Amino acid sequence: MKGKEKFFVGVLLVVGAVGYLIYTGIRETSTYYLTIEEFLPQREALANEGVRVAGRVQAGSIQWNPKDLQLKFVLGPFKEEAGTHPAGVPVSYQGILPDMFAEGRDVIVEGRYESSHALMAKTLMTSCPSKYEPEKSGQQSAVSSQ
Amino acid sequence: MTHLGALALYLAFALAVYAIAISLWGVVRRQSLWIASGTQAAYAVFGCVTVAVAALLHALVTRDFNVEYVASYSSSTLPFPYTVAALWGRQAGSLLFWAFILTFFSTVVHIQNRTKNRDLMPYVTATLMAITLFFLGLLCFITPPFERLAFTPKEGSDLNPLLQNYWMTIHPPSLYLGYVSASVPFAFAIAALATGKLGDTWIRTTRRWALTSWFFLSVGNILGGRWAYEVLGWGGYWAWDPVENAAIMPWFTASAYLHSVMIQEKKNMLKVWNMALVILTFALTIFGTFLTRSGVISSVHSFTQSGLGPYFMTFLLLVLCVSLGLLLYRLPELKSENELDSLLSREAAFLLNNWVFVGLAFATFWGTVFPVLSEWVRGIKITVGPPFFNKVNAPLGILLLLLTGVGPIIAWRRASAKSLRRNFTAPLLGGVTAGVLFFMLGYRNYYALVVFSLAGFVLMTIISEFYRGTRARQAMLHEGSAQALGRLVGKNPRRYGGYVVHVGAVMIFVGVAGSSFFKIEKQTSLNPGESLEAGRYTLKYTGIKNSEDDHIASQAAEVEVFVEGQQIATLHPEKRLYKRQNQPTTEVAIRPTLRDDLYVVLGGYDAPSGLATFQVFVNPLLSWLWIGGLTLVLGTCITMAPNPAERQALASARAQERMTEAEEVVAD
Repeated sequence: MKGKEKFFVGVLLVVGAVGYLIYTGIRETSTYYLTIEEFLPQREALANEGVRVAGRVQAGSIQWNPKDLQLKFVLGPFKEEAGTHPAGVPVSYQGILPDMFAEGRDVIVEGRYESSHALMAKTLMTSCPSKYEPEKSGQQSAVSSQ
Repeated sequence: MTHLGALALYLAFALAVYAIAISLWGVVRRQSLWIASGTQAAYAVFGCVTVAVAALLHALVTRDFNVEYVASYSSSTLPFPYTVAALWGRQAGSLLFWAFILTFFSTVVHIQNRTKNRDLMPYVTATLMAITLFFLGLLCFITPPFERLAFTPKEGSDLNPLLQNYWMTIHPPSLYLGYVSASVPFAFAIAALATGKLGDTWIRTTRRWALTSWFFLSVGNILGGRWAYEVLGWGGYWAWDPVENAAIMPWFTASAYLHSVMIQEKKNMLKVWNMALVILTFALTIFGTFLTRSGVISSVHSFTQSGLGPYFMTFLLLVLCVSLGLLLYRLPELKSENELDSLLSREAAFLLNNWVFVGLAFATFWGTVFPVLSEWVRGIKITVGPPFFNKVNAPLGILLLLLTGVGPIIAWRRASAKSLRRNFTAPLLGGVTAGVLFFMLGYRNYYALVVFSLAGFVLMTIISEFYRGTRARQAMLHEGSAQALGRLVGKNPRRYGGYVVHVGAVMIFVGVAGSSFFKIEKQTSLNPGESLEAGRYTLKYTGIKNSEDDHIASQAAEVEVFVEGQQIATLHPEKRLYKRQNQPTTEVAIRPTLRDDLYVVLGGYDAPSGLATFQVFVNPLLSWLWIGGLTLVLGTCITMAPNPAERQALASARAQERMTEAEEVVAD
């Protein structure tokens, strides 16, 4: 083999290996990223798939048991019209609460939706709305439980 | 003051335009006075930007809340160092800070090259000023830092509490320094392409700049990890968040470049590749800024989302078009003079190392932009999280670790069986020993044991390199062992400094493997007097202490730590409320040892019952990550030490170029 050919064999091997790793990595670890509005209509189709859903913690829905670290709340849509109580998804999470977790906060929930039951969250992330810059998402913090 | 600052920015903008025009026009018309005037203008741009920075600093330090930027990111109770740090805390300030560093570097480059590189310099000036112009344009017309409010608030809204941490005051500037110093090799690469002076001069002239860039990128990434570990309270230091990826991608390509450049210097190969890496690294720094500013990709701890995305994208496309266009134009002249002789050679090992680095950059890039791509192609957003990056990058990283050992001891051109046996016996033994040792210590995980064995292997290659070099000097020059070792490094700081960097990298691998594969995590709620067990530690919660000042209200739990019945420490994990922003934060308590870190988070506290929720992590070997980081930084400093051999090589490269020029003139 001449230098050039060896060179290309090497390139092909590396490119192939990286490509293979990326391909299998994506296939095994990818997660649907949806807003709650997108998630609600197709939740049954996505049952037991990994999902990441962004929504808002519905007012009055938080049940927190500090003894066994069980959290339940309803993940509702970002825009709630006055008077109505739109549909949301019940979320179940075990672990400590992120610092910014509260009613009306925007959160991202990562986990699996168990059919006609609840979104079993593995990770719960909050984002804090900055007072002086309402249009910006600002700092977020993450807490995950394994 | 703020009017002065804004005025200075407009003036800097105009001067940058002038500097670009006059430098290029000077080349076309062969007017050295015009080119000199371009240089003067570049100095003046630096002066103006400095005035603007001083003006903003003045507003921050005097807490002039009428200035919108100050009102948003400062407050009357914010401690002084953080009022200064607020300069780079947010968008407009960080762009101004960027422009400041860039023009400062441009000034240093011009002073360094007062009498050198006359052909390259006009283009270097033009390129650096063009980059500056982009940032100044943003500052003058898109996000002016000196906007005033219609009224003066009594109080500012404070800097985000998560940023009120000493690591955070030095981590962003370090990353910016790394990002910005990548512009200098880029400017020289463009100058080399534009002038057709494609010899080694531009590479040797910018070697220190490339190293500087790599140095600060390394420091920035390590500090970022350290900040995440201390502040975010999830027990880890790296989450493959887009913001982190933005900082690590140029680091990958810069690492590749630092290795491949040696092949060009020694073997005259890989000229196109090196150009491509320099361009790619610079493009990735801009892409990284784009990622963190545009909000295109949602991040766990992103900067403010803003409308700057399209501007960065346009600039990025412009940079890529111009530089790749130039590269294609010069392609025929960049043909390499040598070819690869054997796959079992140092050249091949270096090449493989390069491809792996670029592979890491590409995989990281792909995973980062995947949500956007999938939305375009399939109409649905699909994200990949840390598991993807770990899955893809871990095998590549392990291959890289192997090459770290192989590269320096395999022969150039073609390795013979004999030389392989001679060079590899001791390191292989070292690897096996390390593997067995860690197995006996109870680290039973296949993946991790591979890393530990390779770590032993690489460490042994480095030790034997130092040993052999020192022995040779002792035998030939009759020096004492300490003297011989010192002179060995002093004579070739680049090589032996590089080995020290490798030692640091090995430690980082060990720390990452230990803390990833053997991490212990516990979550429990305890009443005062109750205990929990985590690994070898027993933690007893005794009570809560409240304290309060103007700025912060805090609740600290007292936790006594026992190992085998002996109390070894008392920790105080804390919950804080930053009053101004009404934001609760977590202050982690960490007890680091070389064996493992004990990491305690106070998750919540129920005042009436006294019940406290704890999250406890035991992170084995994690300290080695930080020690390795320090070692790596130290090694980089050694490689930057003055080097007589280096200076000679640069002089001869320049002489060679002048010879060829003279020949060309004669031939004409």
